[in-house]
Amino acid sequence: MKRIICIGNRLVPEDSAGPAVYDLLKQQELPLDIEAIDGGVAGLNLLRFVEGAECVVFVDKVNGFGKPNEVVILESAEASTAAENTHSHSAGLPYLLRIIPEVCEGKIPHISLVGIEGHPNEALIDEAAAIALKIAGDGKSSHITGF
Amino acid sequence: MMQKVMINAPLNRVEGDLEIRTEVDGGRVSDAWCSGTMYRGFEKILAGRGPLDGLVITPRICGICTTSHLTAAVKALDMIAGVFPPPNAVRIRNLTLMAEHIQSDMRHAFLMFAADLVNPAYRDVPLFDEAVRRYQPFKGETVIETIKETKKVLEIIAIVGGEWPHSSYMVPGGIVSNPASGDLMECLLLLKQYRSWYEKRILGCSLERWLDVRSSSDIDVWLEENNLHRESDLGFYIRFAREIGLDRIGRGHGNFISYGSLDIPEGTKVKGKGKHLVASGFAQGIKVTDFSHEKILEHVSHSWFMDYNGGRHPFNGETIPYASGRESGKYSWAKSPRYDALPAETGPLAEMITAENPLFTDLVSRTGPSAFTRELARISRPAYLMPAMEAWILESVSDGKFYTSPEEIIEGKGYGVTQASRGALGHWVQIENGAITHYQIITPTAWNASPRDSNGTRGPLEEALIGTEIKDPSNPVELGHVVRSFDCCLVCTVHTVNRGKEIGRVKVGAAIL
Repeated sequence: MKRIICIGNRLVPEDSAGPAVYDLLKQQELPLDIEAIDGGVAGLNLLRFVEGAECVVFVDKVNGFGKPNEVVILESAEASTAAENTHSHSAGLPYLLRIIPEVCEGKIPHISLVGIEGHPNEALIDEAAAIALKIAGDGKSSHITGF
Repeated sequence: MMQKVMINAPLNRVEGDLEIRTEVDGGRVSDAWCSGTMYRGFEKILAGRGPLDGLVITPRICGICTTSHLTAAVKALDMIAGVFPPPNAVRIRNLTLMAEHIQSDMRHAFLMFAADLVNPAYRDVPLFDEAVRRYQPFKGETVIETIKETKKVLEIIAIVGGEWPHSSYMVPGGIVSNPASGDLMECLLLLKQYRSWYEKRILGCSLERWLDVRSSSDIDVWLEENNLHRESDLGFYIRFAREIGLDRIGRGHGNFISYGSLDIPEGTKVKGKGKHLVASGFAQGIKVTDFSHEKILEHVSHSWFMDYNGGRHPFNGETIPYASGRESGKYSWAKSPRYDALPAETGPLAEMITAENPLFTDLVSRTGPSAFTRELARISRPAYLMPAMEAWILESVSDGKFYTSPEEIIEGKGYGVTQASRGALGHWVQIENGAITHYQIITPTAWNASPRDSNGTRGPLEEALIGTEIKDPSNPVELGHVVRSFDCCLVCTVHTVNRGKEIGRVKVGAAIL
């Protein structure tokens, strides 16, 4: 199974990009081998969704990786550099990405992050959802073109 | 001339939205201020929504305490609807809440609290190298094992809740699913695996043996009994903590509060105290009195909310932001809950004290609370919970009775109180004309990390910091021990991925006097 895991807190407008992409994906008929997951703010608890997946595409709000109002694609290693040195209640996605090589049971899937810079608007959400689907469909992010 | 310095410590692993400011005089903390730095305003989000919306929204307040918020929200609605969940629904609700606790306790102890044991300040402690082997972030043997084991036990919530994360499977009158016996056996298997790991790795002995430790001197006997005890993570924690003096810091007011949690279902063989497995109560020192939610008042004199005189009960509380900077001494977005006009700490240690647990009663009666004792209670708590979890799974015969249909909720007032992993959690709710008109939440961290109240009395964490010796102001690891022993959580907020690392900063301000 290929998984698109949308991260964020729908109660907080500036962190609602991931949930908005999830809501959009759920309105669509996804390919049978792609599953969209509302990851909320579960952080480390999302590890179980990574294990056993063929590939994982996270979707989350990001800061400082691109221009405002831009969708960026990050490889797991790059996104994990944002992790704090230790775990906290707010450790979130970077900690998860950094710890995965140490704790993942089974083969580590290809992992990428579709990041949304700036305040999420309808166009950005549409673009992020399309990119996430494209990456998940291809099973990797190295040949993304046309966005 | 005595020199005072100010140490501002926005500590990582406390939570991003909590800042601690301390005044250090003669090498010891002479005053402290806890500041919640983010306005949350869930009460405003919920006002005007449908009565059941709290079941969906409040579990999303936090990624850690999702089941705890769901429990408090549904209990408030049970009360308003006047409905009593069937015993099996109570068992399943309890089971999932306990699954959340036993994973949270281990993650806090070995991913967050123990990370300070590998602080360079302890490089000369004989046990330091072993601490690094166990607790080095991202690499330590216990760190890796803890992540691997805790991820599995949470599957219990997904299995019976049908959704993870942020499940909303509890509803007024029970739960939405009817767990099949196969589901329950899967839960039992997950629990037994977790228990096996906890006994072997964390305790170095059976649950029963650790539960037989009933006094400070019993700890010494247990430690010397065999090498498995000494070398377990619990044994190592006790030895290291004594070496660096964790039992001598973090005393605080010595008041404890537990709302009580885990309702005892009809027909169970599990014995609790009163109506709960986790006792309710309020204690000053080790003197325990009955808990009544009516004695809770929230003060805002030092919080960034519109002032009112004294304190208000959460049914009458207001959450009107008033961002005034330092005007009138306000310094936090957290309110100040008080019980019978007194500050009180909450969490696993408070649960042990209000339950009159022999071990923790003995420890607190000897030296008062401490950072050591708080974390010991947290590491020990799964030993008290897992036997009841096993019993409730086995008792949850799939008889089809997991739900009692309530009347439609149009009007009413109710509250749901429980114990989250970090302590006392309450939701106070009023419904009028089929909509929420009032919703007040008091979280465990509101109790522990509250600012001063209208009497000028410090909050529990602020008080616990007083007297703490700071050996090196540029690396005040002692503050970290005390603060983290409360397992504060103000996370409920924004989780974006930021370029560059946001690591704990410690600023030593200009010397004064």
